[in-house]
Amino acid sequence: MSQVSTSGFQKGMFILFRGEIHQIVTFQHVNPGKGSAFVRTKLRNLKTANSIEFTYKSGEQAEQVPVFVKELQYLYKDGSNFVFMDNSSYEQISLSESLVGDFGKYLKEGEIYQVYMHEDKGLGIRAPKKVKLKVTEADEAVKGNTVSGAKKIVLLETGLKIAVPLFIKTGDIVSVDPESGQYVERVNS
Amino acid sequence: MRPWRAQRESNPHQRFRRPLLYPLSYGRCFKAIIASPLSYNITNYEYSQRGNMELASAPKNTLIKINLKNWQIRSEITWQIRNYFRNLGFREAETPTLRPSLIPESYLEVFKTQLLDRNRKGKKMYLAASPEASLKKLLSAGFGNCFEISRVFRNSETGSDSHQPEFTMLEWYRVNSDYIGIMDDCFKLFNHIYISLKKKSLIKSGLPDGTIQYSGKLINLKKPWLKISMSEALKKYAQIDFDNITDKDGWDLNSRFPAVKISAVSAKKGYQVSEYDSWEEIFNQIYLNEIEPHFKGETPVIIYDFPRPMAALAKLKEDDPRLAERFELYIAGLELADCYSELTDWREQQARFEEETKLRKKLTKTPVKWDREFIMALKSGLPLSSGVALGIDRTAMLFCDTKNIRDVLLFPFE
Repeated sequence: MSQVSTSGFQKGMFILFRGEIHQIVTFQHVNPGKGSAFVRTKLRNLKTANSIEFTYKSGEQAEQVPVFVKELQYLYKDGSNFVFMDNSSYEQISLSESLVGDFGKYLKEGEIYQVYMHEDKGLGIRAPKKVKLKVTEADEAVKGNTVSGAKKIVLLETGLKIAVPLFIKTGDIVSVDPESGQYVERVNS
Repeated sequence: MRPWRAQRESNPHQRFRRPLLYPLSYGRCFKAIIASPLSYNITNYEYSQRGNMELASAPKNTLIKINLKNWQIRSEITWQIRNYFRNLGFREAETPTLRPSLIPESYLEVFKTQLLDRNRKGKKMYLAASPEASLKKLLSAGFGNCFEISRVFRNSETGSDSHQPEFTMLEWYRVNSDYIGIMDDCFKLFNHIYISLKKKSLIKSGLPDGTIQYSGKLINLKKPWLKISMSEALKKYAQIDFDNITDKDGWDLNSRFPAVKISAVSAKKGYQVSEYDSWEEIFNQIYLNEIEPHFKGETPVIIYDFPRPMAALAKLKEDDPRLAERFELYIAGLELADCYSELTDWREQQARFEEETKLRKKLTKTPVKWDREFIMALKSGLPLSSGVALGIDRTAMLFCDTKNIRDVLLFPFE
């Protein structure tokens, strides 16, 4: 493992904090009351998915966890684990619910996802900006309900329920922002 | 948007009735090459300055983003600050920001520049990091209670949502008062600003009296603020006894606290400690991690009596010289004001300057020429007084309910 100084911190970087792997969510430089310089960070524990705030002395060293991204196919959910497979080596890797976090609601069987790896262990999923999902259940729009901004709840193929505009029908493909969980657009395929 | 208008001559007896063109105003007679931002969107607009022909809607390379409502609040705040102090009978001062010498403050990086005379011979100059020295010179000359709203400059403070290299600071000084008097001033000033903003409906309506909303939380300005001393806060939030991290003696007036005891406490808590860390750095890390996060609540917090290594220009407490009479004000987690009972002893001030200069050298900060006039002013007698610096940009952030200082500036720096 390599050492990284606070000046080398980047958003999304994986570091070792109190013996556990954390991801840097945000960081800010601060000088309390004209005092010496510090770096305030928000770290997400990859095991428990909890976020904590920690302030480093400027120039302090942290251990960087070498991480690479691997494209893996999502197979199925086994209890509380999501099982992925490397299509070139047929090796299976499972990620726990807490590692996948909210993104678990968007996982579609058979799709390829980018997974953060440390040695041979999966650390989490690099969520794309948009996820395309099919609408499996949508009520017909109520006639006369044309107030702008009106929304209805539909069911997506992964079992997720989201609010969409009234013109969305069963069988449409919509794109969703996994970070906010909001509808982005209808995809014309 | 129509500077020219075709008009017929009004005299019907005129032989040739041809339309005449004449400008209605000479103010904006040149051709607009970019769409006027104000006609684009009055509350929140952006436009690009990159190419002449790029139009207002270009989403990338936006240089200017103004929230006019925030700007209105901010301008009302500065207006009300002036009102408040005028009503109290304070004198307004205006002191130079371009200065030949500064107060050496160990951790502040400064802007250095050059003043050229007619023969282009250069003289080192600095941009002031606070109007403190000038105002204290005025105090020692008998200027009396005073305040100043000034631009100040601090280098290498980019990449933060609550810092800008150039920002606006309010300082005020009360003669014959210590920091307790200034605590009172802060409370009254914030409530004065609150009432004036409320009268102009610039505060979110529907909230209980005396409260504002900041990032989803209610902040009550009217109820008495929480006043907590640093050693109480240490015990309450970090479970540290101040006696356990300092020595009652074993250090003389001109030296900093030895770091031995505090390193042990800090290492036990799991922080990284190296032998080069000073007492202040280790203390600040504990403070930022374990104490400051508790200041984000509903009640504004005044934390007072800082350890000596963080005293700078503050007077030491008579009953415990390990502490200095300094306080900081936090509202909703924003560090808003920093106050001292002013150090009036020139010998001690000079000793501290020498110490700070040494530390600056160690920290490889730009060397500054220190202000000898300031020491002279102290020698001639600085009246017993107390002063405070309050960030106007951050005060505006509080009342505008934003976490980014750039939202309350017209031309923010990245």
